[in-house]
Amino acid sequence: MTAVAPAAHAPAVGWHHRHLIDVDVVTWPEIELIMRTTDEMKGILARPIRKVPALNGRRVTTLFYEASTRTRVSFETAARNLSADVVSISTATSSVTKGESLVDTVRTLEALGAEILVMRHAVSGAPYLAAEVFGGHVLNGGDGWHAHPTQALLDLYTMRENLPGGDLRGRKVAIVGDILHSRVARSNIWTLTAAGADLWLCGPATLLRGMDRWAAAWSGGAIPGHGRFNVTSDIDAALRDADVVMGLRIQRERMQGGLLPSLREYAARFQLNAERVSLAKPDAIVMHPGPMNEGVEIAPDVAISGRSVITDQVANGVAVRMALLYLLAGAHEAARGEAAR
Amino acid sequence: MTDRQIMTGDEIRRAIVRISHEIVEKQAGTKGLALVGIQRRGVPLARRIADAIEEHEGMRLPVGALDITFYRDDLSLVAEQPMVKGTDLPFDLNGATVVLVDDVLYTGRTIRCAMDALIDFGRPRAIRLAVLIDRGHRELPIRADHVGKNVPTSREEIVHVHVAEFDEVDEVSIARQLPASDASGAGDR
Amino acid sequence: MTATGPMIGETVERFELEKAWLVDPVSGREGPGEIVVTDGILESVVWLEGEEAAGVTDKGVVVAPGLFDLHAHFREPGFEDAETVATGSAAAAHGGFTTVALMPNTSPAVDDPGVVERIRSAARASGSPIEVLAYGAVSAGRAGEQLSAMGELADAGVVGYSDDGAPVKTPKLLRSALLYAGMLGLPIVDHAEDAELTAGAEAHEGYVASVMGLAGWPTAGEVNAVARDLAVLADALGDQPAARLHLTHVSTAAALDLVRRARAAGLPVTCDVTPHHLAFTDEWIAGARRWAWDAIDADGTPRDPWADGVLKAGPYNTSLRVNPPLRTAADAAACLAALLDGTADAVATDHAPHTVVDKEVEFGRAANGISGIETALGILLSLVDAGRLPLARAVAALTTGPAAVAAASTGTAGTSAARPRGLTEGAPADLVVFDRADRWRVTPEALLSRGKNSPLIGREVPGRVLLTIAGGRLAYEDPEAGSD
Repeated sequence: MTAVAPAAHAPAVGWHHRHLIDVDVVTWPEIELIMRTTDEMKGILARPIRKVPALNGRRVTTLFYEASTRTRVSFETAARNLSADVVSISTATSSVTKGESLVDTVRTLEALGAEILVMRHAVSGAPYLAAEVFGGHVLNGGDGWHAHPTQALLDLYTMRENLPGGDLRGRKVAIVGDILHSRVARSNIWTLTAAGADLWLCGPATLLRGMDRWAAAWSGGAIPGHGRFNVTSDIDAALRDADVVMGLRIQRERMQGGLLPSLREYAARFQLNAERVSLAKPDAIVMHPGPMNEGVEIAPDVAISGRSVITDQVANGVAVRMALLYLLAGAHEAARGEAAR
Repeated sequence: MTDRQIMTGDEIRRAIVRISHEIVEKQAGTKGLALVGIQRRGVPLARRIADAIEEHEGMRLPVGALDITFYRDDLSLVAEQPMVKGTDLPFDLNGATVVLVDDVLYTGRTIRCAMDALIDFGRPRAIRLAVLIDRGHRELPIRADHVGKNVPTSREEIVHVHVAEFDEVDEVSIARQLPASDASGAGDR
Repeated sequence: MTATGPMIGETVERFELEKAWLVDPVSGREGPGEIVVTDGILESVVWLEGEEAAGVTDKGVVVAPGLFDLHAHFREPGFEDAETVATGSAAAAHGGFTTVALMPNTSPAVDDPGVVERIRSAARASGSPIEVLAYGAVSAGRAGEQLSAMGELADAGVVGYSDDGAPVKTPKLLRSALLYAGMLGLPIVDHAEDAELTAGAEAHEGYVASVMGLAGWPTAGEVNAVARDLAVLADALGDQPAARLHLTHVSTAAALDLVRRARAAGLPVTCDVTPHHLAFTDEWIAGARRWAWDAIDADGTPRDPWADGVLKAGPYNTSLRVNPPLRTAADAAACLAALLDGTADAVATDHAPHTVVDKEVEFGRAANGISGIETALGILLSLVDAGRLPLARAVAALTTGPAAVAAASTGTAGTSAARPRGLTEGAPADLVVFDRADRWRVTPEALLSRGKNSPLIGREVPGRVLLTIAGGRLAYEDPEAGSD
């Protein structure tokens, strides 16, 4: 961790979001604030005692409706590093299987002292429902196909760590895989277009449905603070001269749903293997949100190659989540009145 | 709302020179000493003290910066001031005699946080405290070993320390607090 | 306006209204006028002229014939937590409706006369004077396999047949139904949906669903089904010239276009559009709350809610989950155009109340439906206020339009449904009085329906209903009705 000189003229950006459910409401200065706070959190992780008392006595509850050990453990580690008390609910063993509604579960958890609720759910939009009935802060750990804000932010942080000057403007980022069903892709669209990157989304036509229309809507710079992006099924065009190559998981269910002929065919045409990745820049990095299906969307040798920063993503994930838990916990009282967004 | 100047640039300079002598006197030398400035304005003050000690003892003491943002017990400030300024301790704390340096000593809470933070980094042999201004109203049993100036104040007043490194001038002034602002705001030390 | 006095359900002994704006869609006349109701009969309708008419505009108190809803769900029998015939009738009257045709997706389904009778007795027991009509199911149990007891249902007085909630399952079944129902002189009312294309869908397949990560409901899901229905109808006509098809809640520009062309070619098909498809769009799911006509450019391109900064409400509000889904602003404009050019004869509410249990869940798990019978008039008046729809056309869409759709029915109930809806001297009073100069706030308490699943909660809509009289009896009176 390099010496940090007092940031004499840093802009005074505060944090006023009571929840973080989607990155669509986060402005670029706020993203910069998250990045700087993550720098500090990484510093804490480098210390002999990797813990600070910032969230001492606060209760962080993880409510995961979808099984996910890695993400849940990442959030819990982040919470513990800030000295928070952690409670984990994974629905396989809870009353949810007895048919308890989301609203009732959230109210119960609040009565049990939950202050920050980290949620993962299979249905898009579920965290907004939780936020409507929850008096504390909701941090979205992934909802359906919609959003995965902490993933997009840790992806952004990792890219900035590996690109000169930490500047993504004009840098080509290729995301390859099942874009249609990917909350990681959707959140990355918001953050990377805000960062000024040259974003390319690539996958088979059946898994890109609707993305063309989205790209067309944004092509004229219609959304303030966000640029355009590209959608293609031509993997060579997507990867050529890319600075960042990101693979997304392909799920077996897509085959059953009639969207893919076979995983073998996907691998033959879209797998990130050494040959394809060599189309990217020589110092391009390879990323993946995990867990990986090695041999399907990514070749095993590429996953562990020198260009791969996949394990950095995991480490950065803890730091980003520490930063967000810290910022949310301190969110201004005034923010409590706003409509859950 | 007029600011009342209570220390000029020259007075600050003299106080720093005096404090630097006191620190060395108390230690009977410079051995084992290290200066740690508390972000933000404690940091340039710590540097100036180190400069003064170097001048009269010929010895450059290690200087570090300590950010206590994550050790505060009150998160309500995060919304307005989440900006973290950075901790840098480029020396081994274990066995060192650390002199914490801050601009204003008030309730003592900042110093308590600073001691917690410091101890997470290592085990100093001793911790001492040097402040430019002691304005009274302690809420914790904390006292400074070295004080630039004792200034009795009321709770409605704010002490502003300006240092050339950030503020273009060196001076200390007192202002009456505007009624609308939260009394537990930036001034709470 | 003099105080009326009677309780709900009692004959209105005397009611006089001076200097109001009368709209009579049967004669096509509208203008300043006065009415007198005596012992439940609309004794006099006087059109004012010259000086007497001075100062009376169509922006104040309006009198129209009682409204007719071609498509509503009152959930009884089987789902009384969501609504009953009694609460639904009260809601209908609050909305200015005096006749409602109920869909048969109850439990048990209305597939035999016994269930029709249960609904009728519930209507009688409610004490409400609202005329409650019923559709029979097309298939036994709405299972889509065998025809229901259509003849017996006709004898019991149903006004048509529908498997609504679901489409008529197969082309073959639809063909048989059209032939059989045609023989009985009653229409088939189809909820046109290709269930294979729409399986798992959450929201209209478009830009908003793509951004919000919602499973898309393709336009083809409606267009396919409408095309199928029209083709089957064309064939069926060869065997049964009296076959008639009504397509309910058509929502896409493409499907409306198919209906337009089929009608031009002489096919006996009618359709209705809902108030929510006229006024709300899929961008409401993202949190926008502007009317559909404000969400579209002059060249017919829907505006981008993320670009315009109009996302004021929380996203994924389940009161917006409906079948067919809310579509784009261009589709909404097409619904309005269809109403204006007569492709759509009527506006029908598809009033679909749901309990909190069924709606206070994740968007993709919420039941489909909007509780809309009380806000339908307010929505149409918003269109009138915006200059998009003439007042007379709005009234016709809710009175003579539905009556025309019901007109092919030859059963006794059908005749009743098709009775002329005008301001006719000497006929039993069947009318609604509303004040365009006044607005009312839609709240769970203000809604008389058990279904509080309305996207307009918290919002004010124009046109406070002051009085509804059905068949000469009081159906609804505004609690704060003061003097003019």
